[in-house]
Amino acid sequence: MTGAAISIEHVTKRFPLKGQSAGVMALEDISIAVEQSEFVALLGPSGCGKSTLLRLVASLERPTEGTVSIGGEAPGSLAARHALGVAFQDHALLPWLNVHDNIALPFSLANKPVDREAVGGLIDLVGLNGFETARPGQLSGGMRQRVSIARSLVLSPEVLLLDEPFGALDAVTRRQMNIELQRIWSRQRITTVLVTHSVDEALFLADRVLVLSARPGRIIREVATPFDRPRDPAVMRSATFHDLVDDLTDALHPTDATAHAGR
Amino acid sequence: MPGASSRLIAIACGTAGLAGFFALWQVIGHYQLAGLSWPPLTAVLQYLFDPDRHALFLRAIDATLRSTIAGYLIGALTGIGLASIAYTLPMLQRGSDRFAAVVNSIPSIALGPIFLILISREATPAGVASIHVFFIVYVSMNSGLASTSQAHEDLFSALGSSRLKRFLRLNFPSAVPAIASGLRLSWPAALIGAIIGEWFGAPRGIGILIINSMQNFQINLLWSAVLLAAMASLFFFGMLTLVERAAYRRFR
Amino acid sequence: MARFFVLNWGILLILVAWEGWVAANDFNPIVMPSPQGVFMDMISNPGIYVENTSVTLFVAAVGLAGGLAVGTGLAILTWSSPLLSGIVSPTAVLFSSVPVVSLIPIIARILGYNMATEIAIVVIITFFPSFVFTTAGLRDLPHGSQDLFSVLGASRRATLRRLALPAAVPNMAIALRLAAAHAILAAMIAEFLMGTTGLGYLFAVTKQEFLTERAFGTSVVATAISVAAFLATSLLERRIRARFT
Repeated sequence: MTGAAISIEHVTKRFPLKGQSAGVMALEDISIAVEQSEFVALLGPSGCGKSTLLRLVASLERPTEGTVSIGGEAPGSLAARHALGVAFQDHALLPWLNVHDNIALPFSLANKPVDREAVGGLIDLVGLNGFETARPGQLSGGMRQRVSIARSLVLSPEVLLLDEPFGALDAVTRRQMNIELQRIWSRQRITTVLVTHSVDEALFLADRVLVLSARPGRIIREVATPFDRPRDPAVMRSATFHDLVDDLTDALHPTDATAHAGR
Repeated sequence: MPGASSRLIAIACGTAGLAGFFALWQVIGHYQLAGLSWPPLTAVLQYLFDPDRHALFLRAIDATLRSTIAGYLIGALTGIGLASIAYTLPMLQRGSDRFAAVVNSIPSIALGPIFLILISREATPAGVASIHVFFIVYVSMNSGLASTSQAHEDLFSALGSSRLKRFLRLNFPSAVPAIASGLRLSWPAALIGAIIGEWFGAPRGIGILIINSMQNFQINLLWSAVLLAAMASLFFFGMLTLVERAAYRRFR
Repeated sequence: MARFFVLNWGILLILVAWEGWVAANDFNPIVMPSPQGVFMDMISNPGIYVENTSVTLFVAAVGLAGGLAVGTGLAILTWSSPLLSGIVSPTAVLFSSVPVVSLIPIIARILGYNMATEIAIVVIITFFPSFVFTTAGLRDLPHGSQDLFSVLGASRRATLRRLALPAAVPNMAIALRLAAAHAILAAMIAEFLMGTTGLGYLFAVTKQEFLTERAFGTSVVATAISVAAFLATSLLERRIRARFT
């Protein structure tokens, strides 16, 4: 068991907006408990506040109401201890550093000597052998995201936060990256929150999938995935998987007959 | 290959434009269309490259370039320094922006006498040049620092980076291309500063040649001095353009 | 009050350092006047300052308007003819990297020492930023918009009016900001060198006659109008940018 449990309790987030005293309600009374070594996916339409939720856990935003804590600590103190791993849709690689140095960056920000073995191991793990000295501008989109994933894991974080890490990739590369992330994660089992709008991705990767409604974001559906780990890509062709996809897609885009969540 | 041929056409057009410019200069001078104060290009070149005057021009350009480079370095370092301080201490930012704008707005001819008293006659050209460079580099670096991407800022926050580390490893490298652009653009400004600074009693330099020849109707000398200043400007400007390109390649 | 310090600490620092420096060295006002002495001269002789400032502002403003008009006009001309653009642009870029202030003595020699020459100098000096930035702006079109206009069969003139010119407005605003600062500087240098009227002339004369307090007063006024021009054009640029991008 690695990682810390995340507890989100009655969290509401409003953003101030010119001319509206109440501001925009991004999240309303959300409570989520992520267990140690659990992989939770947040699924929702764009603009539903799922990224905001992740940013709260990453200490990049503060809740208007409610509390977020990780293993009993405030997210900010986890960040200060360099115990968070993050990967965003924008790979956020530093263009002036090569692959190796980008992956090693968290060490220097944590004032730790670079563990070359750990960096080398991760380069191996994400399949970038031979590209150590390449710079991000010379890599394809998929390769950049591999570097980004490797960087998020290099400090063996207690919590891994992934915000649409493959959102900018084409469908084929994305599927391939999902398979690899699944393989990597099954070895380390760090407590992980993934934000995505791909139903397949959420089901294939996560232990539990939470569906958020459009603004203000509220949890409208929760599904535990019944697949063993490590997962074979064949899982995605099973009938159970397809039924769950239909189920979640329907929750995500309610047809007129099933609509009930709007206001 | 259409790319190569269109490039050739562009080069041909540009060369034709430059040739036309020089031809026009020559024709106006030759037929005295603009009076006696506009000599033909050939006369100016002949005057400039006359071996008898090599020593005169070399001494002048040597003095001016020394002042320009000294002022350029001082101004660039001051600009980078103030921009760094203002960025890391946000409460100083707006005041330092205004400070830089005011210092830059002091007319160059008024800076001369101040530096004359503050430092010395010899150092005044470098002083005026440094003020010009300071402002351009300061403003460029500010906009470069502001161009740091939000995703990178978020990454550094989530990784628990200290302010200093964030500045050194993220904001400053992000600003390098903009600083390089500022360094390129401030070279002609530095040269102008040095030339104006020389008007306040410097012992020698291009600025002295320009002002003396203007007052004494030495038309060929005036044009030669200006042409020499233009060539010095272009040469270093070209070099700095290469530096800027390298900075963009490396840091973008 | 706190806001005032946040905005102006740098300027206050200059004034305090100046006053302290003069006091510490016990300078004769002919060598280096104190801020107080300069201020006193300014309020006791407002007429001289106002008269020369208005001359300089007039020269700068007329020259600036002329320079922007010529620069924009030539930019549009080169926009409408790729051949002309190919011929003119490299030369213009060449000139933008030349220390143009050094051209002032030449222009003065050719056109004679009078106010028309001063205005011509400001036109020539402000022309460069206007031409370079407007040319770049006319070509920096929103992605895909050129294709849209081609598909819609827009004429060259309509494309210019409805697409290229509006797209170039933010760049023109940058040109205005740069050119405005150049305009006042160029006007002052022209007046300084040719000696007819204006702040540059007042500065040259008072410096020669050892009226140092007035020479400094002239510099303070020139700095103030430059700062005002800078702030006004920066504000304008920000407004225009917000409107057009």
